[in-house]
Amino acid sequence: MNLDTIVFLVSAVVAVFSATMMISQRNTVASVLYLILSLLAQAVLYIQLSALFLSAVLIIVYAGAIMVLFLFVVMLLNLRGNQDLGDKPSPVSRITKYLVSILLVVELVFIIRGIGFDTGTVGIMTLAADDFGSVAAVARILFTNYLYPFELTGVLLLVAIVGAVVVSKREKSYETPAGSGNMPDDRKKVEI
Amino acid sequence: MDLQLPELNLLKMLPEIFLFLWALAIITFDLGTRRKTGATVGYLSLLGLLITGLILVFTGYGRGFGNMFYNDPLALFFKMIFLGASFMAIGSSFGLTNQKIVNHRGEYFALILFSTVGMMFLSSSNELLSLYIGLELTTIPLFVLAAFFKDNKLSVEAGIKYLVVGAFSSALLLYGLSFLYGMTGTTDILLMKVNLAVTQLKFEGNIGLVLIITIILLLAGIGFKLSLPPFHQWAPDVYEGSPTPIAAFLSVGSKAAGLVAFAKIMVNGLYAFYDPVMRPNDWGVLVGVLAAAAMILGNVVAIRQNNIKRMLAYSSIAQVGYIMIGMVSFNELGLASVAFYIFAYMFANMGAFAVVAFFEDKTGSCQIESYTGLAKSSPVLSIAMTVFLLSLAGIPPLAGFLAKFYVFAAAIKMAQAEGSYNWLYWLVGIGLLTSVFALYYYANVIKTMFFSDADSPYKLSFTLPVFTVIMIGLVGVFLFGLYPEPIMKFASEIPTSLGFIVD
Amino acid sequence: MVPISAYLILAAVLFGIGTIGVLITRNVIVIFMSIELMLNAANLALIAFSRGMNVLDGHVFVFLVLTVAAAEAAVGLAMIVLIFRNRETINIDRFSIMKW
Repeated sequence: MNLDTIVFLVSAVVAVFSATMMISQRNTVASVLYLILSLLAQAVLYIQLSALFLSAVLIIVYAGAIMVLFLFVVMLLNLRGNQDLGDKPSPVSRITKYLVSILLVVELVFIIRGIGFDTGTVGIMTLAADDFGSVAAVARILFTNYLYPFELTGVLLLVAIVGAVVVSKREKSYETPAGSGNMPDDRKKVEI
Repeated sequence: MDLQLPELNLLKMLPEIFLFLWALAIITFDLGTRRKTGATVGYLSLLGLLITGLILVFTGYGRGFGNMFYNDPLALFFKMIFLGASFMAIGSSFGLTNQKIVNHRGEYFALILFSTVGMMFLSSSNELLSLYIGLELTTIPLFVLAAFFKDNKLSVEAGIKYLVVGAFSSALLLYGLSFLYGMTGTTDILLMKVNLAVTQLKFEGNIGLVLIITIILLLAGIGFKLSLPPFHQWAPDVYEGSPTPIAAFLSVGSKAAGLVAFAKIMVNGLYAFYDPVMRPNDWGVLVGVLAAAAMILGNVVAIRQNNIKRMLAYSSIAQVGYIMIGMVSFNELGLASVAFYIFAYMFANMGAFAVVAFFEDKTGSCQIESYTGLAKSSPVLSIAMTVFLLSLAGIPPLAGFLAKFYVFAAAIKMAQAEGSYNWLYWLVGIGLLTSVFALYYYANVIKTMFFSDADSPYKLSFTLPVFTVIMIGLVGVFLFGLYPEPIMKFASEIPTSLGFIVD
Repeated sequence: MVPISAYLILAAVLFGIGTIGVLITRNVIVIFMSIELMLNAANLALIAFSRGMNVLDGHVFVFLVLTVAAAEAAVGLAMIVLIFRNRETINIDRFSIMKW
């Protein structure tokens, strides 16, 4: 039991525990916070795997930006713990769903164990070569070999912005007299 | 430090770049004219698609960004289909844009174009990463488009269902891709193929189990896009709720994109490892079972539908079953027949949806019984609908018949050539049998329109864009039913060049 | 020393929890977060593979997947807000005017 194993075990337990808590909470805010905790634990694992740059990105972008966006939405909708989540579905379908999912996990775990991808052990003690996973190394490969997908994500983000604006803009009226094709009179007020 | 940039060769992706910029220009134009453009933005989008098609013809084969961006016959053929489907979807949207989406007319058309651009990027990528991003670029605009009528409960519900299913399936796909990457150490599909063989030798076939899990994950991920059972439940709801032209675009464009991803990852990347000795990834049978399920389920459930959009949704599930028969026939004709099938399917299905969209626009109804006696009041519309439905059912001399014929021929040829593919006979048998069911529910609509004593209360007169779309559909269905040679010649180049570098 | 497969098993477990979350929960926001968790599990697997083989392609993959997840989250959350305005609930079982 050395330091690496301890770090791994602690972060793994935290990641799995908080992920489980996330899906079992009735309070959505608590769910979001648990997911952030799970992400932080995963960031520790990233460092152990020498992905230094990505662990920073995970914390800053994922935990910092995306999850805060989730939190904003939860607050905006003013959801409470006692929100309407309806009746519980029939126990049969619940149990089937649990069974299917747990079988999936067990199967995956067994297969990965059986094959053993271990092309070596890793950890803080056995650091990778020089700048593996550093900003410079990732940037070098990102802007040369993978320039094309990188440019594509630029397009994707722009499209997502347009889509999000279209969806979230609040409007007064959509229906105009059929076939007229003219703008309604209150059009000017709606426009920002 | 010197960075070795790949050879960009941006001219080879000029169609995509042009269409993307055109879509941005449309949004800007719509905003710049304070959204008083009327139908102009729609005509502009059609013009942009036409110009893109022209550029595409002159661009030809080649590659850019090092080895990341390929224009091989597969890419060009499917880009043609994407552009065609997009053209017909936009053409049948004019009725809607006059009434319901005045506030975001520019964005509506631009998002369809964005999605088309994503499909085009997807069909040109020969590498897992850009393939994944291309697939996302295809679906994210479609989430928004499905929920475009923001006051309409059905439309919003369709949007959220499509969102949950789409995001879930892309997560499954990503996990599958991560296993592929882990087994091969590369994201390039060509290299992946080679490395997978090496890895299998190293693990002495032991890696087969992981490969099976990977294949299941990938199948689930792509199966959702294709609405292949058991991943089909979302399709009828989303088709029913979303705007009709978008449902049409989903059923042709998005499906064709899924087929491209399937051909690239599964057929190109994983098929070569069908090896009688190791036989680790014999996924053909699995897909065959799903295809049979699709044909049976789609055709049987479609009979019970009263809503014509739901009926067409189940019929499209069944059509995917037929397409997958061609996909698992791993011979020269297999992929070519798939390409021809989706080409013929585009004309018939987009045409049928155009009629439905036009009818819904004028009357507000999607129920099959509303079509009662339509033949007397609007004969041209009814005849067009009849032709499209008959083509979907596979009646000669229409294009749909030849499409089914080629698919079945490919399967029988494969079964004859290789003994272990005997099960393809069963698949063809199921295909023929379920075609009869299909004929029944298509004929039901035709009967409602033509052989009913009641008079239709609706007298419909065409508008130009809808008329154009329906004419394109009719011409395509007849022309390629009688004279398929040029398209088949083009399509038969796809399997021979699949996965090779073209210059 | 931790073997690579330990990370892969952890990734599989997290992926499984995400799948359970999507199938079991009825809160759309939690379903969406479960999907994010699934993406993160795939990311962890990618990084572990990448480390095991000492190549950086996996890192680029993860980096771009984060971007895709951000784009998806932006559109997805906007749509969740839209349906909440429309229906006053985020229970997915209530979104069933059409048969699911």
